[in-house]
Amino acid sequence: MIPLKLFAATLAFFLLAALAPAGAAVLPVDQAFRVSGRLGEDGQITVRLRVAPGHYLYQDKLRFSAEPAGVTLGAPRLPPGQEIDDEFFGRVRIYRGEVEARFAVQRLPPGAAGLTLVVRFQGCADAGVCYTPREQRLSLERGRPETAVMRPAPGPVTDALREPALAR
Amino acid sequence: MSKTRQAFLFIAVALSALAAGLYFNPATRQPPQGTAVTPAGFMSVSLATPEGGKGSLAAWKGKVMVVNFWATWCAPCRKEIPDFVRMQQRLGAQGLQFVGVAVDELEAVRPFLQTLGVNYPNLVGQLDALELARSLGNEMGALPFTVVVDRSGRVVQTILGATTEARLEAIVSPLL
Repeated sequence: MIPLKLFAATLAFFLLAALAPAGAAVLPVDQAFRVSGRLGEDGQITVRLRVAPGHYLYQDKLRFSAEPAGVTLGAPRLPPGQEIDDEFFGRVRIYRGEVEARFAVQRLPPGAAGLTLVVRFQGCADAGVCYTPREQRLSLERGRPETAVMRPAPGPVTDALREPALAR
Repeated sequence: MSKTRQAFLFIAVALSALAAGLYFNPATRQPPQGTAVTPAGFMSVSLATPEGGKGSLAAWKGKVMVVNFWATWCAPCRKEIPDFVRMQQRLGAQGLQFVGVAVDELEAVRPFLQTLGVNYPNLVGQLDALELARSLGNEMGALPFTVVVDRSGRVVQTILGATTEARLEAIVSPLL
């Protein structure tokens, strides 16, 4: 019989070996950054971005817009994030872990039960690769606690790439 | 079981677990590279040039090409470009040809190339450039992505993520 201590040690080694350098992994973009959203009864939108370990998002590349055209959004309230001194971009703020952005829907067209929120983001992996800017669309309906999230477009979005702020 | 035997067993199991852990850990298998797929017609994909015209990789066929997909907004890309400039200067006469493919805006690319004194040609594109990268094995659409092509136009190696001068030289030297 394998002694319990030996079994425990084996398990610990296996787990450590498997998990410890996970920070260096490069995940597909839809696994690296997961976006979900909610539209509360009070008209407040909460967007949650979950950044996988070993990955990060640039704060200044985060953009929120809404459709249809009649929808007006308030200014997003974002957490401060972590300031880094980038060799090329100077002082920039990044997000790791979980980020929650909150903002109000200032105007919803009469009769509309919800809206499509467009979240644009761009991030990198610590392993030394950066993802092209992505755009994810969320269908948000008032009163539904957590609306189903659409998958990111298979390719990057031309609009996001064309945005001047992203092409510095 | 004797103490010695127990210790041996412990070490043996621990080593196997470590090996298994490393094997299953995606970090040790990433970034993916070496998948040398030569897609039909990739040389003739037409992209914009920084000068405002059109061009394709076919212009440099017959040389050992290092095709580097990059962007001005990608910090790891910017870090390795000075290495490429140096290598182009050093090995260009032997038939090495770097070609940059910027997944970016023309207006952003032009001043950047000048500032860094990039001594090799570049093509510029957006979705079309990413599609070319995808056809060469970059499923993630992540940058930088570097592709080594031999004189016959065959893709020899692809590298996702930043590379080094030494590593790249080890790949291109036998091809020159």
